[in-house]
Amino acid sequence: MNRLSRAKRSPASGLWKDGLKNAKMQRNLFLLLALTPAFGGYLLFTLYPNMLSVYYSLLNWNGISEPEFVGLSNFVTLFQDKYVWRALLNNLFYMATVPIAVISISLLLGYLLANKGYKGTSFFKVLFFFPNVLSTIVIALLWTFIYDGSFGLLNDFLRLLGVPIGNFYWLGEARTALAAIVPPYVWGGVGLYVIIFMNAMTTIPKSLYESAILEGARHMTILFRITIPLIMPIVRISALFLILGTLKGFEKQLILTNGGPAGATDVVGLYIFNLAFGTENHNYGYASAVGMLLFVILVTAKLLMDKYMPDRSVEY
Amino acid sequence: MREKRTIIDVVWWVLLIAWSMAILFPLLWVFYQSLRSNPSFFQDVWALPESLNWMNYKNAWIKYGIGNAMLNTLYYVGVSLVLGTFLTTINAYALTRIQFKGRKLMWALIMLSLFLPGINALIPQYVLMRELHLTNSLTGLILLDSLGENVFFLMLLGGFMRSLPKELEESGFLDGASIFQVFMRIIFPLSIPGIVTVAIFKFLGLYNNFLGPFIYLSDQSKYTIGVSMYAANQMMQYTSDWVTMFAGVMIAMVPSIIMFMFFQRWIMEGATLGAVKG
Repeated sequence: MNRLSRAKRSPASGLWKDGLKNAKMQRNLFLLLALTPAFGGYLLFTLYPNMLSVYYSLLNWNGISEPEFVGLSNFVTLFQDKYVWRALLNNLFYMATVPIAVISISLLLGYLLANKGYKGTSFFKVLFFFPNVLSTIVIALLWTFIYDGSFGLLNDFLRLLGVPIGNFYWLGEARTALAAIVPPYVWGGVGLYVIIFMNAMTTIPKSLYESAILEGARHMTILFRITIPLIMPIVRISALFLILGTLKGFEKQLILTNGGPAGATDVVGLYIFNLAFGTENHNYGYASAVGMLLFVILVTAKLLMDKYMPDRSVEY
Repeated sequence: MREKRTIIDVVWWVLLIAWSMAILFPLLWVFYQSLRSNPSFFQDVWALPESLNWMNYKNAWIKYGIGNAMLNTLYYVGVSLVLGTFLTTINAYALTRIQFKGRKLMWALIMLSLFLPGINALIPQYVLMRELHLTNSLTGLILLDSLGENVFFLMLLGGFMRSLPKELEESGFLDGASIFQVFMRIIFPLSIPGIVTVAIFKFLGLYNNFLGPFIYLSDQSKYTIGVSMYAANQMMQYTSDWVTMFAGVMIAMVPSIIMFMFFQRWIMEGATLGAVKG
């Protein structure tokens, strides 16, 4: 396009040439002014720190004293650090529970809203989406109120039903705290996927459903045999996002339990965060080494999912 | 697809109501308790309030320094939003509608960000900010959050701008307008719908940003609303002032509720573009 317009103007008199040179200078000035702040900021605040973190992982440094180069010794420590593996195991737990819960609830709700034509569908849609606009801190605080032992909503309910729960602190006991963090993630995440799946479902031709119904198929059959296979590519991408998100995410754990009690809810992201910014001794070098491990896991997870998750785009 | 309603429909209906209740009930519960007094709350959480204690909101406002925190949030979110949205728009224009040397390389470098988990950069970023004397400063946080590139926003706006006919710019140039004028007078106004979507998501992202302010702001007088609510909750262990805390959380929710009320359609449509919480 540009080449064409330049060619058109090429039989240039001196005046044309001056004008062209002027326009070119103007364009370059525009590009310089337009791109420098944002792209420069990107290089400075995103790319450069990411590359630097590789170097940091080879240091023994608490952030204040003189950094000491220690080679790969952080990585040796890393493989012997049982806290890292405990955190990773917790990550695995969330990876297995949160995406499955979010996707199955969203698929069911999305299917009902997209296909059943109930009254109030648009109201449900809006209501279901609402938690997605709330901030992490508000959602997390809401759930600390729910889980509180003495006055929490959950125990109030159980007492009302006559369950002798006493003052059980759901987030304070190692055997419940891990699982108790799943509902806040699900509560805050479902609405977005309901909308995504609903949009995908409305693109499926109605005729497919009609013939199935004529043949006497039931809704569950239709959902599992027609709807889900047809929107599989979108389910797959959603799963990818959710799995990578739970691998990286740690804000809710930070606010709800800060990894406690006794590390029962610690995840890798939170472990790194506390090594670098926590209340105890800081270790920037070791934290960066754990970060490198997380990076490798994330990239591997992504590649594995690309390779092994069914990616049959169905024709209809 | 009209079909006969059967008994199973009752089950589905109950499911929809159940999820609605799961969302609404905790919110309404907190709102309801925020209007009670501590003694009556401790005595019986289900009791009806004798009177509505709107004073709790005033107390929360003063006790947690919400007024100041809201001003800080307004400054941080407002400036980052305007600056960041403008930069994203002008970048989208430069990177999609102008051919220049190095453009492909820039795109490739920007795409690289999709593979980088944010957490690895946190520490070096902090050290860098410290060297630039930008820690414990709202302005520093603004620079950190508005100078940068975001693949999703660039693609969203770039896609929008690509759909504008080339003749618009050319007629502008023929009329003797400079490229700056063409951008400000032609491209910018025509891209408003895309810009609004980007701005809404930037707002939500900035208002909901907890980690950045939490890491970088150490003076209480500089806290944003999220960090001040976090600090208030940490204090709860000692004060047990529940009803005021509930009122505080309700106040922190108000900006999100207002945004959602006004921009509900934009938000729900934009969210499916994959631009949110990427």
